Amino acid sequence: MLKSKTFVKKTRSGGVVKIVREHYLRDDIWCGSENCTECKQESAVLQRDACIESNLCSYPHYLIPDTNVLLQQIDVLEDPVIRNVIILQTVLQEVRHRSAPVYKRVKDMIHEKEKHFYTFTNEHHRETFIEREPGESANDCNDRAIRVAAKWYSQHLMKSQSDGDGLRVVLLTNDQGNKQKAEESSLLVYKCEEYIKSLIANPELVDRLALSNDDKNEISSSKVLFPEHLPLSKIQAGIKSGCFLQGTFRASRDNYLEATVFVQGEGEDSTEVLIQGLQNLNRAVNQDVVAVQLLPQSQWVAPSSVVLQDEGTAKDDSAEEEEEEEEKLKISAEVARKPTGKVVGIIKRNWRPFCGMLNVSQIKESTRHLFTPADRRIPRIRIETRQASALVGQRIMVAIDGWPKYSRYPNGHFVRSLGSAGDKDTEQEVLLLEHDVPHQPFSQAVLSFLPKMPWSITPEDMAKREDLRRLTVCSVDPPGCTDIDDALHCRQLDNGNLEVGVHIADVSHFIRPGNALDKEAANRGTTVYLCGKRIDMVPELLSSNLCSLRSDYILKLYFRGSWLLFHGFNFLLLPFFPSPPYVLVQASLTYAEAQMRIDDATKNDDITESLRGLNKLAKILKRQRIKKGALTLSSLEVRFHVDSETHDPIDLQTKELMETNSMVEEFMLLANISVAQKIYDEFPDCAMLRKHPAPPPSNYEILHKASKSKNVAIHTDSAKALADSLDMAKVDCFPYFNTLLRILATRCMMQAVYFCSGMDSDFHHYGLASPIYTHFTSPIRRYADIIVHRLLAVAIGADTTYPDLMDKHKQSALSNNLNYRHKMSQYAQRASVAFHTQLFFKSKGILNEEGFVLFVRKNAIIVLIPKFGLEGTGPTLKVEQHTFSIFDKVKVTISLDDSNIQHQKIRMALTHPVILGVSVPTPDVEPQAKKSKLDR
Amino acid sequence: MAGLELLSDQGYRIDGRKATELRKVQARMGVFAQADGSAYLEQGNTKALAVVYGPHEMRGSRSRTRHDRAVINCQYSMATFSTAERKRRPHGDRKSTEMSLHLKQTFEAAIMTQLYPRSQIDIYVKILQSDGGNYSVCVNAATLAVIDAGIPMRDYVCACTVGFVDESPLADLCYAEESGGVSSLALALLPRSGQIALLQMDARLHQDNLDSMIEAAMTACKGVSKVLDEVVRQHLQEVSVLSRE
Amino acid sequence: MAADMRLPTARKAVSFSVSSSDRKDLVVPGDVITSDTGFMRGHGTYVDEDKLTASVAGDVQRVDKLICVRPLKTRYNGEVGDVVVGRITEVQQKRWKVETNSRLDSVLLLSSVNLPGGELRRRSAEDELTMREYLQEGDLISAEVQSVFSDGALSLHTRSLKYGKLGQGVLLQLSPSLIKRQKTHFHNLPCGASIILGNNGFVWLYPTPEQQEEEAGGFYTSLEPVSLSDREVISRLRNCLLALAAHKVLLYDTSVLYCYESSVQHQVKDILKPEVMEEIVMLTQQKLLEQEG
Repeated sequence: MLKSKTFVKKTRSGGVVKIVREHYLRDDIWCGSENCTECKQESAVLQRDACIESNLCSYPHYLIPDTNVLLQQIDVLEDPVIRNVIILQTVLQEVRHRSAPVYKRVKDMIHEKEKHFYTFTNEHHRETFIEREPGESANDCNDRAIRVAAKWYSQHLMKSQSDGDGLRVVLLTNDQGNKQKAEESSLLVYKCEEYIKSLIANPELVDRLALSNDDKNEISSSKVLFPEHLPLSKIQAGIKSGCFLQGTFRASRDNYLEATVFVQGEGEDSTEVLIQGLQNLNRAVNQDVVAVQLLPQSQWVAPSSVVLQDEGTAKDDSAEEEEEEEEKLKISAEVARKPTGKVVGIIKRNWRPFCGMLNVSQIKESTRHLFTPADRRIPRIRIETRQASALVGQRIMVAIDGWPKYSRYPNGHFVRSLGSAGDKDTEQEVLLLEHDVPHQPFSQAVLSFLPKMPWSITPEDMAKREDLRRLTVCSVDPPGCTDIDDALHCRQLDNGNLEVGVHIADVSHFIRPGNALDKEAANRGTTVYLCGKRIDMVPELLSSNLCSLRSDYILKLYFRGSWLLFHGFNFLLLPFFPSPPYVLVQASLTYAEAQMRIDDATKNDDITESLRGLNKLAKILKRQRIKKGALTLSSLEVRFHVDSETHDPIDLQTKELMETNSMVEEFMLLANISVAQKIYDEFPDCAMLRKHPAPPPSNYEILHKASKSKNVAIHTDSAKALADSLDMAKVDCFPYFNTLLRILATRCMMQAVYFCSGMDSDFHHYGLASPIYTHFTSPIRRYADIIVHRLLAVAIGADTTYPDLMDKHKQSALSNNLNYRHKMSQYAQRASVAFHTQLFFKSKGILNEEGFVLFVRKNAIIVLIPKFGLEGTGPTLKVEQHTFSIFDKVKVTISLDDSNIQHQKIRMALTHPVILGVSVPTPDVEPQAKKSKLDR
Repeated sequence: MAGLELLSDQGYRIDGRKATELRKVQARMGVFAQADGSAYLEQGNTKALAVVYGPHEMRGSRSRTRHDRAVINCQYSMATFSTAERKRRPHGDRKSTEMSLHLKQTFEAAIMTQLYPRSQIDIYVKILQSDGGNYSVCVNAATLAVIDAGIPMRDYVCACTVGFVDESPLADLCYAEESGGVSSLALALLPRSGQIALLQMDARLHQDNLDSMIEAAMTACKGVSKVLDEVVRQHLQEVSVLSRE
Repeated sequence: MAADMRLPTARKAVSFSVSSSDRKDLVVPGDVITSDTGFMRGHGTYVDEDKLTASVAGDVQRVDKLICVRPLKTRYNGEVGDVVVGRITEVQQKRWKVETNSRLDSVLLLSSVNLPGGELRRRSAEDELTMREYLQEGDLISAEVQSVFSDGALSLHTRSLKYGKLGQGVLLQLSPSLIKRQKTHFHNLPCGASIILGNNGFVWLYPTPEQQEEEAGGFYTSLEPVSLSDREVISRLRNCLLALAAHKVLLYDTSVLYCYESSVQHQVKDILKPEVMEEIVMLTQQKLLEQEG
């Protein structure tokens, strides 16, 4: 069964090293065809009647794509029409090296039963193994391997067929040389385009074809717009010698001619290199890994504060216009120069399919159109489609195929349509896709791990858990909340001490590690709350029913953190974690209801007493926390009153905070901190914690600038100093000033992140002024909490560990995913709010509001309107008579600009102070403002 | 660049083996006339030469003499050319000292040392080419050499490494797999009785997976023992046929 | 000088006759020989859970109720009366330690040697101090096994004129199992050299002494140059012995002599070439068979 053959490989790592590896050739690798009588396979993947209706091949056939076809035409291959494809191991390996996302998609396809994709391990098959010939390049060798395998297949199928009904294999390649050679060895071979165009069933597939090299040549105009990218070998040499820097390309949101490259240096320090101008950007797309070369210091510039959008027409000859714009940029470069560079090469493209809309070409017959992505950091993409008229006004997805140096825009192809623009569902879909939020319904595999309903606590669970039904436990949450996962109780012990218990739903009881449900939840990471929609992390049965602690008098399983509080000279906390109990929630209150009970002196029942106790303690806790230097920051959160039928927003208000909010929050913080300490003590290597790094001093610049404008001093040496000086910062007759300052301070902060304690040494949570912190209290909507629950369960002996829980590298990878999902969900949330704000203004028409200047840019001011929590760019072009400074109060008129359906904008126009040529009269005259937009 | 995929979805490893399959084992006994026993063993591309001297009078310090049994002295070394990059390995290399100790412990469990009081048995093993699983190849080669020397053993000692990838144990790791960040375990087994002579692992592994790893290692060791058994019987017959003529 | 180059060739597998390919009496360590408790445990076996199990690889030998396994190759197990050739490794008080290819070094007591001056000479404390003058480390001796200690170590004696210190000659270290037990292990071969076939596998080749009756006392060694012809004969014998040993032919005077005779048509240095070796050994075996028949 085992044939062994050794081959020799040479690799370079410093010197030349000869690596000898064994390579076993087998004769027990089956062909995977249902038709085959020779192979002893258990379950054949490839169908007997493998028919894809095609003009070229009228007989049943299997497809063998080569590497480039797979890489470029993955969108086509993903179509359900394409079935019965043989993926060779050679091809799969190469795809794996060249593009991780495509590899993942290929793997997904292979796993999908409907697609009938079969992986043939040709390199270990005795008859299809080939050795690299001297002088043969790796690519040629792979091509030959593919041909040999295809040849084998065609002969094998011919031989093994009982009735000889002409089942054949078709090799798909885009390489002319390869095709020719394949034809010479009498293989059935087609170019991918040829084949796809011949398909009868689905002509629409042709649009999804990626442009191959040949096509690009056709477009080529004489003009070369961009400098050539350096080959990878040169880039690597350059990076080694230090003349190039490697980093992630981040396009600016505001200015399409500007970007920064984030260069990760040795250890912690990292630098940012500014890139300005189309030539220097040199076809890099957001998130690409690029090599940059620093320009001489004399050419360094400062980041411009101009807001510029690529409004260029579909033609390439808008270059003049751009030059002008670039000129404009340069003028601004005087102060605060930053290291500036230019992109010399792309190390790794990070292209994904982009959502956006089609700009139909003016020429009617043209099949080439420009596509404008929703993400403004992505350049427009030229695509070829015959259904342009059908796609107008629709949100579509497009993938980039390449960006030749003579083209102003990258070339791409159509992937799919999402629905008509402006439609709420479509827009929601777009923002979920753009923010990479997994939002498909839960698969059957996932649902199969849910407990069977009706569910009740089993006697075994009863025996293991403590019965705490006698306690008066109540939950306090916002109104309309269905995923209630925390509840509290407070009682006076006989010795006068108070006992406070925080009860958190025991979600980890239902989600067992490693099953599909757990994996899905880990991938989703967090529940995403959009306006009027919630993308659950776990199926609804768990989130709103089993684990949710509503007071419907069903026993629930809990985790409990309790504290004994001793009254006396000192206020002492004694956390302990008893084994998970089951309890009965006596009452589910909203914040307002709870507040009313506390305030209502006539009520004296258990729940109210307990609430009062909690409230009192919470105040003490808060005082202590603030004394330690915890920050109270502010951000405006808005809430939509949504029409119950149309789900259109009717009103919008900023969230209101009540004492009870802070009461619940205080105990949750306490629980989180105590649990963090506990799991860290128990598992110093693999505790999942959350940290909030102190921001670097440079982050505070805007805050300093802003506070100086009102002659207020803000100290930012420490969190405590900041908190204190924020408290002190008050300006008479400007009550909103403090809030504005806090909003600005929030902007200065770093992101709080999850991390694995074994991989980091800095645990400090800056904002909460706590040496250690984690998330424990919302297991229904955050996956990190589930991990923390499991750790705690192990720590108190209520559960056992499993391998991944103890592996700090896996934990670390998991926390990276959670951080990413968390960030994306926040962006998605904001985008959703923005969208709904637009809907709101659409219904409202034009409004006049007061606002404050938040930032001043060279040609615009950014205005915050407290009433709506809305932030927008107002125009100021030539401000000679009037100087805007930060926090100036202005009046603006707000309206919705839906001239561009893709980027509907909130248009703001200045009405007061009156500036000639800029501001507009108060009534709703069409403003001449350039643009204004929701910033986030 | 992505790391190597150690186990493909189709269940093949880098070199085309399945998860439980061993590498090809080839061995010869009695390769040196001078030594009391010697053997050469290849397991895939890992090649080892084992030589046994003894039992003989204690050499060196008399203080190590045991009056109830023989002392086993093991020395492990690697040829300079055994790895991809040439490396001088002077004596006292920490890794080889450790390996020598492991070998010693392994063979103390198998050799009936009580039959030879006050004497010493030397086992010298040299890796000629290293491609993963050095310890197990050394043990397997040394077993053959000990048998060749006619030294009584309870049973063969067979060793095998097992790695853990994607929830499944891989038997007999090659170098590419060993260096691919797999937690691996080496086990030396007396196959007939199923007694473990040595179990060594210095990677982190969750307790739940240990049983399946040991199970896989034991199966692999039994596979090795079958091959060794064949080699020994072959050798026996060759020699006995010769001496009969 | 012309060098002799040889290409590696695959080893020829020894062909087995059908009957011998599955011999029952060959066991390997761990093989159960019998689970019948009526047998006695001999060398090379141990009892594991009431089963008699082999601990070495070799053939099973049964003498009445005693079962032992004789390994193919082993260290020398001395028996009283064996002739051995050995090398002094250590000089201790009143004794020499002699390396004789057995598990422990053998002992040659001062009292077991004939000192110059006749058999009746009294041993004094002075003798103990001058032991090194008689035999020092590295000297080769021939001796006879006087007794076996409980731990397996041998006690030797040289109280015969045959035994004693060895002078000029060649030592061969072969497997003890190749030496055929005979009445005498000292032979003056007709080809012009003498041989001591030590039972311990050490074989000593030396020029035949001219005077048989020489009173050397065992400690005198002649340092006179050995003639070229003698040296050539000794070399040829050595290579013949190695050839026989390589083919596991039992060694005794006749086999050595026949081998010597078969080799004369080849040059001395060619004898060890595998094909020549094979040819010579074949001839020898034929001659031996003829002689037996």
